Amino acid sequence: MIKGLLTTLREMFQQPVTIQYPEVKRPVRTRFKGRHVLKRYENGLEKCIGCSLCAAACPADAIFVESAENTDEERYSPGERYASTYEINMLRCIFCGFCEDACPTEAIVLGDNYELSFTDRHQSIYTKDMLLEPVPPGGKPTPQNTEPGKYTRSVPVMQDPQD
Amino acid sequence: MTLEKHGENRFVVPIGPQHPALKEPGHFEFVVDGEIVTGASVRLGYVHRGIEKGAEDRTWTQNLYLMERICGICSHIHATAFVQGVEKLAGVEAPPRARAIREIFAELERIHSHMLWLGVAAHEGGFDALFMYSWRDREVVMDMLEMLSGNRVHYSANLIGGVKYDLTPDMMDKIREGLNYLEERLAHYLDVVNNDETFIGRTRGIGTMTREQAQLLGAVGPTARASNFAYDVRVDAPYAAYAEFPVEMVVAQEGDLHARFVVRILETMESIRVLRRIFENMPESELVTRVPRRIPAGETISRVEAPRGELFYFIASGGGEKPERVKVRTPSLCNWGTVITLAVGHKLADMPMILAGIDPCFSCNDRLVMVKRNRQDPQVWTWADLRNYGIEYYR
Ligand code: SF4
Ligand code: SF4
Repeated sequence: MIKGLLTTLREMFQQPVTIQYPEVKRPVRTRFKGRHVLKRYENGLEKCIGCSLCAAACPADAIFVESAENTDEERYSPGERYASTYEINMLRCIFCGFCEDACPTEAIVLGDNYELSFTDRHQSIYTKDMLLEPVPPGGKPTPQNTEPGKYTRSVPVMQDPQD
Repeated sequence: MTLEKHGENRFVVPIGPQHPALKEPGHFEFVVDGEIVTGASVRLGYVHRGIEKGAEDRTWTQNLYLMERICGICSHIHATAFVQGVEKLAGVEAPPRARAIREIFAELERIHSHMLWLGVAAHEGGFDALFMYSWRDREVVMDMLEMLSGNRVHYSANLIGGVKYDLTPDMMDKIREGLNYLEERLAHYLDVVNNDETFIGRTRGIGTMTREQAQLLGAVGPTARASNFAYDVRVDAPYAAYAEFPVEMVVAQEGDLHARFVVRILETMESIRVLRRIFENMPESELVTRVPRRIPAGETISRVEAPRGELFYFIASGGGEKPERVKVRTPSLCNWGTVITLAVGHKLADMPMILAGIDPCFSCNDRLVMVKRNRQDPQVWTWADLRNYGIEYYR
């Protein structure tokens, strides 16, 4: 009994282990798989080339991609094609990260955001506008008007990925 | 395990499918005579998800992620069982480092699963302080898993032919630190479990299962080992890196609830010990080997030791990109027989603890639903009916 009370007393003076979410947020680890982000190159062009490899890889059939042709006047991404529609159904997605592995251009990356909530099923479909990251400083928003013959290669030269 | 016919002047207490004492849906009927249970039956199948059928529709790699989602607690071990079966069919072997990493994940998972169970079982016995403490300490191992794989629950560490994530020496140091803390806490819990009078009163001599009963009822895992039935796939048929880094089997003689607590806590400590041993002699090699996209035709079985006991996979390949059949038998299914046998003769109030004693996982054992093939029966739905129903429902 005395021993039990001692435990109680000791714990009374310890820091609580709980966090006052949502005021305080717990940082996520580097390998965390959260909501997807569609990446851009430094010049603002989208990395996604609309190849649908992610959609084919996805075990949960969560991704829908439709692609269209790029032209030099209206260029969204390097190469011939870009994704005109890109939708992920967050209710289907199981956050496995296989889309990330499948993408040839590292366009889709699972980010840090874990605060996904919706009030109805239609909101769970995230469209391209919601997923695309903002244009980096120095870049231009898409579609861009580019000089002909500059962006013919759709898959860039890669290095080994880090975490 | 069908519902039995009960005599007329006996009282049947139905529990579930939705009940505060159960964390997952399952239906139990206890026949009571006053306070004492004289018969019990269990009915499962409320959370059948059709994963095995779904597996036939997906490629080998996609299935890896699907299999992982059979269980929310022992997710890694399901994927391990699956990849090991597929690797066996393809005739490849994962590199040594990948196998060691599989073992590391499996043991971390065992620690987290047993600590989760310790909390739940204590909570069922009305010992909520232990529940809070063990779950607080479980966060330590959850953090390690998040650091290793990015996810707290579904680690997705396995690939067919290897693993996805490497361990850096830095991470190993962090894990070692956490393990030291956990070991200290576990020693404390062992002390509590062995010496707390109220706790002993609720566990000692309750739900005692003899070795013969365990064998007869087909019990597996810690439930069987607590009844002195020494059987552990990690020891008897080593997989992953268990041949290089063996674990010691933990068995107890008594076979009651108390023994199950002790066995699980000691097993957790053994996991910590084996993890340290792996970190000292981490083999160096590639992380993955190449595996063909099409797996050669054939059939295989794959057995692993999940935290709850022996997990069994049957995989048949037709030589294509997708499996022909995947059959999963989870350890909880084997242990149900013990619950309904052991319940007899105990007080109704002991039922939640006896139930929790086998560490049941309902949704992973709900594999098969028998439907009478009677076309007039309004309960038989075709695929098209179901699809229409789903579309209408969410319109
Ligand atoms: S994380 Fe997995 S489930 Fe989600 S969209 Fe990517 S591949 Fe599909
Ligand atoms: S995200 Fe990657 S894999 Fe998916 S369509 Fe775009 S480029 Fe292809």
